[in-house]
Amino acid sequence: MILLGLLIVPLAAGPLAFFLRRRHMMEVVNLAAFAILLGLAAVLVAQVLRSGPVSLWDGFFYADALSALVVLLSAFVSLVCSIYAVGYFRHEEGSGVLHAAEELGGRFAVDKLREYYALMPFLVFAMTLVGLANNLGILWVAVEGTTLASVFLVMFYGRETSLEAAWKYAIIGGVGLSMALFGTILTYYSAYGALGTDTLAGLNWSVLAGNAAQFDKPTMRLAFLLILLGYGTKAGIAPMHTWKPDAYSEAPIPGAAMLATGVLNCALYGLIRFYILSSRCLGPQFGSRLLILFGLLSMGVAVPFILVQKNFRRLLAYSSIDHSGIMVLALGFGGPLGILGMLLHMTFHSVTKPLLFFCAGNVQQHLKTDLFQKAKGGLIHSMPLTGAAFLMVTLAVTGSPPFSFFQSEFTVLRAGFARDHFVLAIFFVSFLVLIFSGFLVHITGLVLGEDPGLPAADMCGWKKYSVAGLAVVIVVMGFWIPAPLFRLIQGAVGIVVGG
Amino acid sequence: MPFVPNPELGNRIITLMAALVLVLQIAGVGQRGIVSSIRIFAVQSFLLGAIAAVIAYFNHASHIYIAALLTIFLKAGLLPRLLERLVERIGIRREIEPLINVPLSILISGGLTLLGYVVAESFYHPEETSARAALGHNTLAVAIALFLIGFFVMVNRRKALTQVLGLLSLENGLFLAAISLTYGMPLVVEIGIFFDVLVAVLVLGILVFRIGETFDSMDVSKLRKLRE
Repeated sequence: MILLGLLIVPLAAGPLAFFLRRRHMMEVVNLAAFAILLGLAAVLVAQVLRSGPVSLWDGFFYADALSALVVLLSAFVSLVCSIYAVGYFRHEEGSGVLHAAEELGGRFAVDKLREYYALMPFLVFAMTLVGLANNLGILWVAVEGTTLASVFLVMFYGRETSLEAAWKYAIIGGVGLSMALFGTILTYYSAYGALGTDTLAGLNWSVLAGNAAQFDKPTMRLAFLLILLGYGTKAGIAPMHTWKPDAYSEAPIPGAAMLATGVLNCALYGLIRFYILSSRCLGPQFGSRLLILFGLLSMGVAVPFILVQKNFRRLLAYSSIDHSGIMVLALGFGGPLGILGMLLHMTFHSVTKPLLFFCAGNVQQHLKTDLFQKAKGGLIHSMPLTGAAFLMVTLAVTGSPPFSFFQSEFTVLRAGFARDHFVLAIFFVSFLVLIFSGFLVHITGLVLGEDPGLPAADMCGWKKYSVAGLAVVIVVMGFWIPAPLFRLIQGAVGIVVGG
Repeated sequence: MPFVPNPELGNRIITLMAALVLVLQIAGVGQRGIVSSIRIFAVQSFLLGAIAAVIAYFNHASHIYIAALLTIFLKAGLLPRLLERLVERIGIRREIEPLINVPLSILISGGLTLLGYVVAESFYHPEETSARAALGHNTLAVAIALFLIGFFVMVNRRKALTQVLGLLSLENGLFLAAISLTYGMPLVVEIGIFFDVLVAVLVLGILVFRIGETFDSMDVSKLRKLRE
């Protein structure tokens, strides 16, 4: 029942927001839906922790600790982003940006907002379905659904550059996901000999995972490669990352934050599910090598672009490429430590990354530019809260102690050493250090410095409290992870490692 | 004498039709007009639907009939019509200018077909002499070839709409793989995929329309503002 509730709430909120006429009603619908969703996700987590996997309709929907974690994180980022979205879009409307978009698209500002508030619940619905679908085909359908719902987010402002970004996103995402579909079909084929069934259960992960040892091995190898390329494209790992900087810099901030956290988690979740099948069928070696290769490559690709970046929105996208690289690398290192590192990183990433986007959004709305060059520095004087939070979250995402990324990245490093990947671990650390210095130079240059004499930033309560509240959560998480959350992560590690 | 479905005959028919699908794909590579490309896609999809129906008939897998009907209705009927409408509304009927000229493109497609056979070969287990395995072998090669050629079309063409067509024909390759290897995915999944393809075409169609409106052209090589 709880599983149905999790799906129905966002699915109902979309059409509801679409038919409402007033802006603040749409805001209320979004906020309420995502708050309920987060509550339901917490109930699901409690159930999973108490009595193991929950399933519905003969296992059509299925939630174990791993799914519950992803659903919980999706719900959390949805709520946080929707709170910030209220302040963000009110500011956009007030400063006439949406009216400019209106001239391009021939629409009114409220219609523009309706587009956002009606589509966001669909995106959240697809994200939740990714976590709850047991059938790997439905999982694919849901991931494709996240792409389709978010294409409109990317083209929201209707500028030439937004269309370009949306086109790249849709086409690269489409090709990538077709590879993932091919991989899914081949997985089904490789299981055919072992399961030999045309029934629905033949693609159910919970069934496949138990029989993975008997799959046809050559087929499974090709299948996993295609899955890695496919869901890897969606996760934005190099060399399939080229859509990411464009999409993240064109989408409105709350939407971009959703793409960078929730949608990224969905793609990685798909990858993890297939990684489990592949390592049970082929042994962990095969998948690990590929994952390590792509993970390190992504981190390496991100480094030069972060060091010389001129645009702070694009900087965030390269940071996201770096982080998905870290998570894929951790999965490749494998073992209980590697998987723990990955899932911790996923959790911390979902909590921390939105704040980085919110700060960048506040700065962009204040300065009306996203170029470092045009910003004069000294933002701490005109926007003290955002400036301080921006500095803090920069330290957090680059993995400096005491923030939580330090723990997860250190765990990943330990996993690398535990598997005797000394050279790779050295690369990992040096990439982290380079990215840290690049980030710090850019953001301190933006925030610190002499007062350029800008007027104080116009910050409404929604923007203020979402930034301050999330900052508090991040600081607390650096020192303390709630016990149930950690037990959930450990449960998920157990599922991936097996046994 | 009543006609008894003979799987052997079925396999021959299917292999023949799969070969036709491949020929159409390569013909699509050589095609220069957008509308004729769309029509080739429609015929190809119709053939795929027919293949699905033949498989359903010879293997008594009734749920594939639904997939066959959906394919014929959606991919051979509705989608081509939508795309042709779009072409009319944007009012562009100029020829497609591929990056690589037509003879060389067709040569490359031939090479990709060979590659498809090489890849499919590695999944062929001669010890399994069942008719299924042989069928899977041939059609998988065609499916991989369709996939690769579709990919090539997307890289080779600069018009937004032909990239969409490339994506769709790539999807056709996947459909062929699914029905011939495993007699179709579970029905729910199949329906989900059709729904996604339909929505994807609508989304891409809207994008193509907006791009055509904003840039006065569907040439995606004009989309190059976002650079490092």
